[in-house]
Amino acid sequence: MRIIIQLVVIIVALGVVIAAIAGKQTHSAKAWKKIALCILSLVMIVAVLFPNSTNVVAHMVGVGRGADLLLYILTLAFIGYVINSYLREQRDREILHKLARRLALYEANIKKKDHKK
Amino acid sequence: MKDVRTVLIIPVYNEGQVIRKVVTNALKHFTHIVCVNDGSSDNSVDEIKHTKAYLVDHPINMGQGAALQTGIEFARGLPVDYFVTFDADGQHRIADVKQMIKELDRGDIDIVLGSRFLGKAEGITGSKKAVLKLAIAFTNLTTGLHLTDTHNGLRTFNRKVAEEVQMTMSDMSHASEILEIIAQKKYRYKEIPVTIEYTDYSRSKGQSIMNAVNIGFDTLLRKMSK
Repeated sequence: MRIIIQLVVIIVALGVVIAAIAGKQTHSAKAWKKIALCILSLVMIVAVLFPNSTNVVAHMVGVGRGADLLLYILTLAFIGYVINSYLREQRDREILHKLARRLALYEANIKKKDHKK
Repeated sequence: MKDVRTVLIIPVYNEGQVIRKVVTNALKHFTHIVCVNDGSSDNSVDEIKHTKAYLVDHPINMGQGAALQTGIEFARGLPVDYFVTFDADGQHRIADVKQMIKELDRGDIDIVLGSRFLGKAEGITGSKKAVLKLAIAFTNLTTGLHLTDTHNGLRTFNRKVAEEVQMTMSDMSHASEILEIIAQKKYRYKEIPVTIEYTDYSRSKGQSIMNAVNIGFDTLLRKMSK
């Protein structure tokens, strides 16, 4: 049984990384992020209302304790979040740089006209 | 005789101590010099204004790659044939630039790259050399080019390259990015030996070894997300 959860975690982990990096910012990608967030929240609510439920699910997939299973899920969510925000930061920076460059060139080209020869 | 068909593009970030001397010296040989001040917090801008170089002033600090891209875009508007990327800290030699222009003049090459390892690197430290060698192996692997030095700031290229080049990596990763562009666009390239004069000043301005990790990470990420 343990091998199953190991496989699932590894595959999902790679999937999260690849999807976060290579995935296009489509509407459906954004929608999936929201759905994932809702599911995660629901799981948390269930877990806190029925403390034993995580243990039951964990045993079903071959993990020793429910807490471990939650840790795996959280870690995956965290990795996905980190990559996602890193890439978004880079995209935003690119936009800012284009704007700043255009301003710098605009100013420089005005001054160029009376540039001392 | 002064070279009027070549432009030197110099990214400047807090180089107030040396930039005036470097630019003044280069102006003896080249009519067109573009300094891109990359949001320096020192007196770099004032120093550049004392010279006859063009000044393009980034409102914020954006990184050396971004400064080069800005400089190239400005230089496209000048009546020149050849474009040179030149470091502000005085570690490049004018004589090497002239040699590179001679190579371009033959007309069968689009871009000439300087190599420290074909030439002499004066005063280079062992650890820096080791990191550079690693970076070279890594970059040759990711670009498919065969170079002896992949992170040299001295490059000379023709108008075709200048008109087409579009760098997006703003920090030091631009060195690998330029090589990726060469590979992708199939530019005809050549390396020639150049001498880098490592001084205490240029060493103090050099990159930390750990930055190689950042560059490697960004390069891989960029390749994956393409």
